[in-house]
Amino acid sequence: MISLSKKVCLLGDFAVGKTSLVRRFVYNLFEDKYFSTIGVKVSRKVVAVPRGDEIIELTLMLWDLAGSEEFDDVRISYMRGATGAVAVCDLTRPETLASLHDYAQTLRRVSPQAQLILAANKVDLADQAGASAEQVRELAAQLAAPYYLTSAKNGAQVETLFRHLGRLLVA
Amino acid sequence: MHPTDDQAILQDRKIAYVVTDRNLTVIEVSGAASILQNWSESWLGHPLLELVPELMGSEQALAGILADQLPRLQIPLVNRDPQTDGRTTYLTLVDLPRRDATGQITGLIHLIQDVTEIGCLEQRLMQQRNELRLLQDELNRQNLQLAAANTELRRLDELKSAFVSIAAHELRTPLTSIVGYLEMLLDGDAGALNQKQTEYLGTVEASAARLLNIAHDLLDMTRIETGHLELVLETVDLLALANEVIAELSPQLDARTQPLDLHAPASLPCVLCDPLRVAQIMGNLINNASKYSPPGSPISLKLAVSDEPEFIQVSVADQGVGIPDLERAKIFEPFFRASTSALMNANGTGLGLSIARALVELHGGRIWVDSAPDTGTIFQFTLPLVHCPPPPAER
Repeated sequence: MISLSKKVCLLGDFAVGKTSLVRRFVYNLFEDKYFSTIGVKVSRKVVAVPRGDEIIELTLMLWDLAGSEEFDDVRISYMRGATGAVAVCDLTRPETLASLHDYAQTLRRVSPQAQLILAANKVDLADQAGASAEQVRELAAQLAAPYYLTSAKNGAQVETLFRHLGRLLVA
Repeated sequence: MHPTDDQAILQDRKIAYVVTDRNLTVIEVSGAASILQNWSESWLGHPLLELVPELMGSEQALAGILADQLPRLQIPLVNRDPQTDGRTTYLTLVDLPRRDATGQITGLIHLIQDVTEIGCLEQRLMQQRNELRLLQDELNRQNLQLAAANTELRRLDELKSAFVSIAAHELRTPLTSIVGYLEMLLDGDAGALNQKQTEYLGTVEASAARLLNIAHDLLDMTRIETGHLELVLETVDLLALANEVIAELSPQLDARTQPLDLHAPASLPCVLCDPLRVAQIMGNLINNASKYSPPGSPISLKLAVSDEPEFIQVSVADQGVGIPDLERAKIFEPFFRASTSALMNANGTGLGLSIARALVELHGGRIWVDSAPDTGTIFQFTLPLVHCPPPPAER
């Protein structure tokens, strides 16, 4: 079996759920209380990903980066060498969708070959949704990225999203 | 310094270091035990990049250091899994060139400093800042919703004002006609009336007059609310105007045997006002004084130069039931009626005083009330004076 290791960055504004998505995917856990990330936290998870007739053992090195703009400069250095990124927005805060353009632009400048996937998170809070699925679809089209409506809280589409990204990374 | 001194410094500063060869294979590990415990030995002989995942993507930078093209690489605030106390460990990683005695770069020195204390402080600061931002965003969202609701309320309020205005207009026209024909009937223009007929028609006329007053009040209120009430200002002899108002109200006051005393200085300056509207204010206040006082109770109307420069002060005082303390603040609100109105069997819509306040304020004056239950009430308002003698004929 071929083994590969890929660096994946989690991008998006503060409190959109980047850390929670990683925690759900890696440990299958969720913490309701918001704990803001400063600097960087690297987690790893090994997944088996099909490529043609073979199965690739892919180690996803997930770089959970601080979302606050105070870390803008450092974030750019952390993006170096990334082969993939999950752009995360919060469906209850429409402004977090708009800022993904900037994150995507920076990623493509720093790591032009990186694969991008969009996670519109907190779909479990549909009653408070400020952004519609249609807006997410339009944003994903503009970023030329696949998208999923995810919930780190109940796990909806989280595994699917990372596995999709895994397939893109080994393709 | 003795080598143990170096270790003491590294322990105190919570610094550990890893030395690699040019292939980035670990050849030496030393420093703070708190950082190195459990895994330092297992590092020897392994590639640094495998052991420090945060260096992934920095291969070019590390090659730059080995080539003497880059002085150092720093990765600040690396989060590591929580310690036994539940706190996240924060590390700062620094990579420097390692040189031999001749200055040649033989590998890297990878420094690891435990900055958990600073990291925790910074995290708390960031946490509070982000929570404040979230609250601010939530407030902004709620403000937007409130603004939208407010716009809708304004639209509905304008619709209500338009409806009331049209209804009052449509009421006023036939009522004016009814009152006119009633007066003709009572004057005997259509033939003599017997006592019963006169009595009945008198009741009808009083009711029609009340309806007409309500229609006028509603029209005034909608004009005030929509900002369409305009004053026709002129220089007015207030004493003469007060006498006209008293004359108009004297049948009502006489019916209740309520004497009205007018007090005014000999030389009272004129005021700049709309005489019809000021007569309306004075009439309303005297009418209220009458309604809320028992028969035979005296009423006083006083005109004087105010303590406020450039204003005349008008006071209407009674010795009636007064206004309860808790209700005094609401007395000028539209449709508010004091609890004493039921006690005194006083008719009204609760619009008179709010209209009076709006009219006084339109003139640039102010209106206020002092009252004590069972002692009486005094309403006072001010109007801007003008320095010119009134025409002698009007005095």
